[in-house]
Amino acid sequence: MTRRASLLLAACLALGAGTPVRATEPGPTVSVGTLADVLAAARAPGARAVLVNVWATWCDPCREELPELIRFYRDRRAAGLRLVLVSADDPQDRDKVAAVLAAAGLPAGTPSFVKEGDDMKFINGLDRRWGGALPASFLFDGRGHERHWWGGPVTYRALDRAVAPLLPNPNETGRSRP
Amino acid sequence: MTFASLVLATALSLAGALPLGSPAPRATVKMKSAVDGKAVSIADVTGKAGTLVVFTCDHCPFARGWEARIVALADDYSQKGVGVILINANDPAQHEEDGLAGMQARAKSAGMQVPYVVDDTSNVARAFGATVTPEAFLFDRRGKLVYHGTVDDNMRQPDQVQHHYLKDALDAVVAGKPPALPETKSLGCSIKYRS
Repeated sequence: MTRRASLLLAACLALGAGTPVRATEPGPTVSVGTLADVLAAARAPGARAVLVNVWATWCDPCREELPELIRFYRDRRAAGLRLVLVSADDPQDRDKVAAVLAAAGLPAGTPSFVKEGDDMKFINGLDRRWGGALPASFLFDGRGHERHWWGGPVTYRALDRAVAPLLPNPNETGRSRP
Repeated sequence: MTFASLVLATALSLAGALPLGSPAPRATVKMKSAVDGKAVSIADVTGKAGTLVVFTCDHCPFARGWEARIVALADDYSQKGVGVILINANDPAQHEEDGLAGMQARAKSAGMQVPYVVDDTSNVARAFGATVTPEAFLFDRRGKLVYHGTVDDNMRQPDQVQHHYLKDALDAVVAGKPPALPETKSLGCSIKYRS
């Protein structure tokens, strides 16, 4: 079995046999990263809004929110939304993380990390109000300023409400420039 | 759930973590222990040197990763006058192993000597503002919260720990001194509150 086929099989097993897998798209790449790597990916120029989501493969509410989170990203990335995913799994489980993200439909090229380094620095580096419970999501504007955070699963509607003010009006898309 | 209890639960869940210097809330609530079946409250285990309350559970990989260290600290500091109680506030409807039977099996396999109790409304956890497992709250001999946070800085590799946050705080409390680092954090599982 090829490595890619193995990943797809693992993804099916991880999310259930009924979950569709986009076999025609290349899978996401997952890097081992520190807080500095995550912040660099979030603050890289070119985005109007950046959503950082911290999750883990063993976290049920995290896996449950992933499809909706990714669907929202797919719907808004053309308007300037960037998604940065950070897993709290063991760095040795990077392939498992990639398989779950692939099965959830994460587009290739989406910045994805398995966190390494001190937890407390990581938590406080994202938001001091966060206690460390998973999942958690943090919304930054295009200048890197935090605009909102969620402790617990997010919904498409909640994301839309918070992200919409940072993106161009859909009716004006095509007339405005990032 | 009644409207009043819903309002209370919502208010408690929004209250944030218990501030340093606070006494233990809901300290007289009796909770069933998976260790011996007895009903125990936080007040019942209060120690002369201090009291340690740890919110933990069975299903969470972080709670499991720290479990042996928590049990060892509980055994060690119980002998030094610190009362210890471990509380599981998770809704077993979300993870079956967090039910009493799973807790009993866990208590036995881990060799727990201190009470490992069921917060069967999750309202004790809400009153503490606990959000993650494991999460420790340490009270000094006067009953004031002096440490809140995690066990140490390396869940996965016990031999690589550089900062023994909870042990250091326990040593300080036993010595009658304030912990040098009163608040710490770690990633972990969210507490699955009962509705």
